[in-house]
This record gives sequence, structure tokens and C-alpha cells, in this order.
Amino acid sequence: MGKPQKLGLKDAIGLINDGDMLTFSGFTIWRRPMAAIYELIRQKKKDLHLVEVNGGTHSDLLIGTGCVKIWESCWIGHELYGKIGANLGRKAEAGEVIIEDYSHVQVLARMQAGAMGLPYMPTYASMGTDMLNPEYDHLGKLGLRDGSNPKIPKKKYEIVDDPFYGSQLLHIPACNPDWCIAHVQMVGEEGTVRVEGQQYSDSEAIKAADKVIVIAEQVVTEDFVRREPTRNLVAGHQIDYIVELPWAAHPTGCYGIYETDGDFIRNFYSTTRSQEGLDNWVAEWITGVNDFDEYLKKVGVEKLEILRANPALGYSTKVKRGTR
Amino acid sequence: MATTATMTTTAATTTPNYVKVGAFKSIDLMTVAAAREVSDGDIVFAGTGLPMVAIMLAQLNKSPNAVCIYEAGSVDGRPISLPTSVGDARCSFKAAIASGLADVFGQLQRGVVDLAFLGGAEVDKYGNVNTTGMGKYGLVPDKRLTGGGGNSDINGLARKTVFIMPQEKRRFKERVDFITSPGWRIPKWPTGEMVPKQEVYNKAFRGGPTAVISNMGVFRFDENGEMYLDTYHPEATPEMVKAHCSFDLNISRVSGETELPTYEELDLLYNTIDPEGIFLP
Repeated sequence: MGKPQKLGLKDAIGLINDGDMLTFSGFTIWRRPMAAIYELIRQKKKDLHLVEVNGGTHSDLLIGTGCVKIWESCWIGHELYGKIGANLGRKAEAGEVIIEDYSHVQVLARMQAGAMGLPYMPTYASMGTDMLNPEYDHLGKLGLRDGSNPKIPKKKYEIVDDPFYGSQLLHIPACNPDWCIAHVQMVGEEGTVRVEGQQYSDSEAIKAADKVIVIAEQVVTEDFVRREPTRNLVAGHQIDYIVELPWAAHPTGCYGIYETDGDFIRNFYSTTRSQEGLDNWVAEWITGVNDFDEYLKKVGVEKLEILRANPALGYSTKVKRGTR
Repeated sequence: MATTATMTTTAATTTPNYVKVGAFKSIDLMTVAAAREVSDGDIVFAGTGLPMVAIMLAQLNKSPNAVCIYEAGSVDGRPISLPTSVGDARCSFKAAIASGLADVFGQLQRGVVDLAFLGGAEVDKYGNVNTTGMGKYGLVPDKRLTGGGGNSDINGLARKTVFIMPQEKRRFKERVDFITSPGWRIPKWPTGEMVPKQEVYNKAFRGGPTAVISNMGVFRFDENGEMYLDTYHPEATPEMVKAHCSFDLNISRVSGETELPTYEELDLLYNTIDPEGIFLP
């Protein structure tokens, strides 16, 4: 594997092929690789297959722009700033994206097994639900579990007898995405990853993927991150590419660095309910700017300063979040 | 949330100082009723929204030793600012641990969680909850909702679950359109035969939904896992609540009116927990 290569965002995203399977860092509207999502859209990627522990603003946008063929996950929305993933809804209700429903723990189990090199993971989670209804095994219904795509398991799940203690539980197939795109606070120049705050399912997502692009707020000397190894999440030999791009999770939040930009997401949610609205939004914020630097200029320093986290707290105290 | 000293003072209040009907909102009563479901020392797994407000109220009021786990990976945080979602940086403020999903869902599967606090879009008489889709589901769904997230995992494996949701006839149904989160009678796959939850969960069976709190009443579940009305909120009657369910709600076991919020509880809700008007606008 060797040392990770440092690339610009455009070149790193250029390595991703149409039809590839992707997963991401973060949780709903926190620490999502938004600049990478914008670049995937700018490069007009097609037929992407997303497998993620949960979705959020990033995947709703990517699905809405028609880059995604299959979305395997359990949740999509914008938390307080937008009730549902309206772009996924519109595409699904028009039959333009395939949804495969699992629960949080079940998708996590897929990544855990993938990260450990195992074919499946046993779990008791979400048994007796319609996620397991054979009628809603959409990949199966479409004949996509025929083994022709090695990334798609031959079964959605299996209910098996526990051979050791006498119970019954689920086996959930492993997932090894082609790519994990992870936004993190810090990475050493040899690829040692540091994540601050809640780590979500980043470790499993990164280790399950065949190739990993880490986008960091800061690239620091390797010596610096190695002074405190207990604070690090993943070693550099499991990272392939490093992109240094501050604020690249905007409008999602990044613990200790900046707050979620709620107004921005609210505006995205309310103006992209229709395809025309989304197309206009993309023309303004993605294709209407040359790169992420220009995007940040458009967001504006004043706004970014409001979002900047108070280091003593890990979040900003200058953001108006509620009605008072 | 606050120092131990403040909590003790609040808990020491003797006669409840109830707020008059008309002087509080129905969302206040729902939150207070939910907080009263917490026993001191409970390990609570809370979802985004009112569940967060309810657990914080419980901790500040009668249950200072309750531990709150958020699914994004924070354990026993002491936030001084209300998180807007479980992934929020605020969740891990002064937490015992900021880890990730594998840790906290592992604890859940291990049997650590006493009480789950969750929301939903639809519920049926067995406590099955839908947050996935309305109408016909399938390859081309009629109306896609958010999906379950951790709702189904948490509710499935906690000892008790309290659901907080708005009361509407179309949301309280005989059978939900999609069983996202398992109640007391659930499908056993591959056939989908509806059986008691115990038969599906085997050794991992620990309980299930114990209460549903709406803007009209507090519902509980009988020996057969069927929902009944326990208490009705002021300005509602059992008959009115029944009229807002599309299944035949059992109102024969009503124990009375829902206990009103106190001034102390409203003070905590609006001045300490949610002064910004995030979930209590």
C-alpha cells in the first residue's frame, strides 16, 4: 500500500469511476465530505452505488443530481433543517433510484464485517421488521443478486440458528466499497488520521473500503500526530490519498472546527423540493463556481466566522438555531 | 447539564406546583410526561428532537443519575447547550466517552439499555412504528419518509421504549404501512406470519414499547401487547382520543387525567434546556 499520495480534490475525485461503490465519513449533517460531493457532481459521475450507515444532505444532493443508481442505507434527511431527504424521495417515487433498506446496526454490521475481512456479521438488530420483508429486497427483485457484481451479495440477509448457545439471529453480508471518502479534522503527512469528537462509523467505513480518500481540515507533520497515538483513528497504510481542504465539510459541521450551517441547509431543503429547484441550486452553488475556493468566497468570510467553533466548547455560540 | 447541587435543590421540591390548563402548550405536557417515564439510574438511549429534551428534563429534575447515550457515539454527556441532533458536537460535551456507533450499539445489543426514547410517523395497536414510507412501499414507493435510522435497533433491543408522536387518526392505525420499528406482534420472516416478539428475538428479547405519548394522551400496552389509553390530557376525553385512532382503541383501563406540568418543569424546559426555541418553539 505504501504512503498515501497527496492530491488536489479534482484529481482525487477523477480517480472514481462511473458505477463505483462509495461510502462516507460522518453522521447525517456532521462531517460529510461535501466538497467531494460537489466535485462528483461537477465531473458528472453516473450509476454510483452508495452504501452508508446513514444518509444526509450529501447523499440527498448526489441522488437528486442523478449520479446515483443504488442507495443502500437506513435514513436520509437534514435533521432540524429539513424533515426528509426530498431529493431521494422524488427520485425513488419516480423509479429513478433503487433503495435497499437496512437498519443502522445492519449497515454498520456490513461495514464491520468488511473492515475485518469477514464475509458476514451476526446481529440481533431489527429482526421482525419490514427491512427484512422479501418483498422489499429490491436488488434481489431486480435480479442484481446473481453474482455478476462481486460487490452485491447473493442474499440481503440470512436468518440462522446460533450453533453455540441455541438462539436465532441474522447474518448480514459484508460490504467492501470501492471508495470511502472521509472528511476529518487532521491527518499526518504519512496518512495517520485523527478524528475529534464522536467518531460515528468512520473507522469501519474507512477500513472496509478498498481505497480511501481522506480530506482534512489540516495536514500536519507526521511527528505531530504521533506524539499522541491514542488520539488517532486509522494508520496511514490504510489511506490512499490525502486532500488538504479546510471547510470542505460545509454546510455540514465539523466537531471543534465549525458548526453545521443550518440556514444554508434549510435553504437547500426548501429550494430543492422540485427537480427544477435543485437544478437551479446546482447551477448556483456547484457548476456556477470553478472550485471549492470560489464556493467558500460565495458563502463569505462573515458567515464562516459565525460558524467557527469555540475551541473550549467544540461548537459555535454565535449561530441562531431556534426561534428565540 | 448542571451541578449536582442544583439537581438536589430541584428534586427536593415537595408539593407539586402545577401550571393551570391553558398556561402551557401541549408540546410541554408531552415532554414532561415523557420525562416522567425515566427512573433514576436508567440507562437511556435517546433519539433526536423531543426525546433529547425529555431526557435532559428528567436528569435535571427527578432522575439525576440517569445516563444518556446518543447513537452517534456519546455516552453520558453533560451538554450545557441543547444538541440539534445526535451527531451534534454538543452531545459529547463533558461526556464519559466520545466513541462511535460500534461501541454504543454494541452496548445496546449487550443489554445495557433500560429505556429508549424515540419518535415515529405512524404507530399501530401493537406498537409497530413506521418511519420509512406512507402508502404502498416497494421499488417505487408512494411516499418515502426518512427511514428508520437507529429507531428499529434501539426499540428492538431496549427493555422499554417510549414513543413521542403527534395524534392523528391517520397516524394511529390498525396496521402501519411499513414496520420500521418492532412492536409486540411482529412478522417472522421469511413467511411474515405475525407472532409475539419473543418468538422472533429469542435470547435477545428484553421488552418492547411501554408507552406512546401523544398530544392527546398517554397509551400503554396490555398483557397481549395491545395498546390502551392510560391517561388523557386536559381538554381531551377518552372518547375524543378514541376518535383520533383508526383502530378500536381500548379505553376501558383509563386511569385518569395526565399529570400537569409544574412551574419548575416549565422553567427548566424554557430557561435551562431549550432557551433558543429549538424543539420547543
